[in-house]
Amino acid sequence: MPTYAYILVSLALFFVGAAGVLLRRNVLIVLMSVELQLAAGTLALLSFSRALGDQKGHVFAFFVMALAAAEAAVGLAIVVSVFRTRRTASLDEVNGLKG
Amino acid sequence: MTVDPAQIAALIPLLVIAGVGCLALLLDTFNKGRAPALWLAQLGCLAALAAVANQWMGATSSQPIWAGMWVVDRMALFLDAVLIATALLTLLVAAPFMREHDFEHGEHHALVLFATAGMMTVVHATHLLSLLIGIETMSLAAYLLVASWRRQPAGAEGALKYLLLGAFAAGFLVYGTALIYGTTGGEMSYAGIAARAGRAAGNPLFIVGVYFLLTGMLFKIAAVPFHMWVPDAYEGAPTPVTGFMAAGIKVAAVGGLVRLLGAVFANPGLALGHAGWVRLLGGVAFVTMTWGNLAALRQENVKRMLAYSSIAHAGYLMIGLVALGQKVDGAQPALLVYLAAYAFTTLGVFAVVAWVGRRDDERVRVREWAGLARSRPAVALAMTVLLLSLAGVPPTGGFFGKFYVFRAAMQSPDLAWLVVAAVLNSLVSVYYYLRIVVAMYFSDPVRPWQPFPSVGIAVVLVVTVVVVLALGLVPRPVVELAAGGLITRW
Repeated sequence: MPTYAYILVSLALFFVGAAGVLLRRNVLIVLMSVELQLAAGTLALLSFSRALGDQKGHVFAFFVMALAAAEAAVGLAIVVSVFRTRRTASLDEVNGLKG
Repeated sequence: MTVDPAQIAALIPLLVIAGVGCLALLLDTFNKGRAPALWLAQLGCLAALAAVANQWMGATSSQPIWAGMWVVDRMALFLDAVLIATALLTLLVAAPFMREHDFEHGEHHALVLFATAGMMTVVHATHLLSLLIGIETMSLAAYLLVASWRRQPAGAEGALKYLLLGAFAAGFLVYGTALIYGTTGGEMSYAGIAARAGRAAGNPLFIVGVYFLLTGMLFKIAAVPFHMWVPDAYEGAPTPVTGFMAAGIKVAAVGGLVRLLGAVFANPGLALGHAGWVRLLGGVAFVTMTWGNLAALRQENVKRMLAYSSIAHAGYLMIGLVALGQKVDGAQPALLVYLAAYAFTTLGVFAVVAWVGRRDDERVRVREWAGLARSRPAVALAMTVLLLSLAGVPPTGGFFGKFYVFRAAMQSPDLAWLVVAAVLNSLVSVYYYLRIVVAMYFSDPVRPWQPFPSVGIAVVLVVTVVVVLALGLVPRPVVELAAGGLITRW
């Protein structure tokens, strides 16, 4: 398959992820959407890397994977801590701070 | 591959900060007495400051090392010193604050150091990979610090909002990097991208990548419309952490943007013209400062008011960034002076906010500050000086920061309107800063004042007020140091 096909898929993934962050109200779905955005970035990096015959994109992709894992760990810890005090994982109900 | 020892020596301040962070974490695991971890962290900050001073005295080079990842120039060292001082002052405030509010964790000190290591990486980075690692190390530690006050439900909520938007921004950073990498023919180092930017500028995917990268960075400096997390995270976080974020993250992100915009995206094809980032950032700067100030006017909560004030300051800083894009000569040192003055002022202000509250009585409403001047005249005076510095009133450091940034921007005729708008905005901001001063001096206390005694916070107040006044009365030495940081061409 030509490179542009991979890039189109990654663009689609990225915008699906971005729309998920902006539109969905469940914290876990939002976190999954963020992971989708990072996966889109990884896919674009890898396909460019293959097309250019250059290793930097591969290396960057490894760092993005580590970053996604770290973000999920911290994110879930914070979600658990919110759930303990409020018994909900919906962003609409986590609204104690305003102004 | 052999590694030149000089390359390792160049990383000493970072290694000290990150290494002491790990040691503090270990020490806390085996010794729940907490104090040793704190002392170790503070000693580590002092050692790192000494290492930075040593590097400043030695020969600095604007040539990137570590395969184009890292540069040790005067600008980076200047910001390093500000960031490490920020961490040290934060630790001094945080220890008594955590004792008073009963949530002492040794991890807190380690996380402050890890965040500082991330911030230092951001200002040294000359490669999109080191930039991403720095940004994320800083942000992940900051999310946890915001959530660390577990008895306060607002803490977890602020951290959640900060995390979701921060992760969203990370998505933009990664995807922007991928697009730039692909469209420049495999370049990720700033020098490589700058060399190919002219040819790639015709490619729409490259332009999209540039704006994705900028979006990710604007989230971190809290520019409107990417500011939604700021008030909630600042209000929910433990107050010393709020000060740390307001000072440290802003300094690091602006430092990273100075490098990115000054070197990588300074190509006229990207900077100017109708779709150029100079015009766009000019508009964002105007909206950011105006929105921040107008929203701050109607806040009753001091921490929230200061959060909006920090958004307004992001707007003023962006005027300096726009001037940098217009190739104005003094823009970069002006930004450094502004950042130094802003960091110390903010830390001092949040130290006072941290100090007035007692356990289960945070005392963050403006009217609860009534009568502080009669009970604690010295603290009220210090707070007044610091607030005047935030407002930009002479003779304080905040005045000279604004003065140099605005003077640099005035050299470009396109930016005159922004400077006029910024001066008007500063006038508006005086109103809400003075509300706190008026409450402190001209009202009777709603409750008796019994702030907790703390040597650490007293030291921080003395240091920040002295630095802010020194910057205001004799700005020359710091201005010269900042101008020494001008060597960033590579």
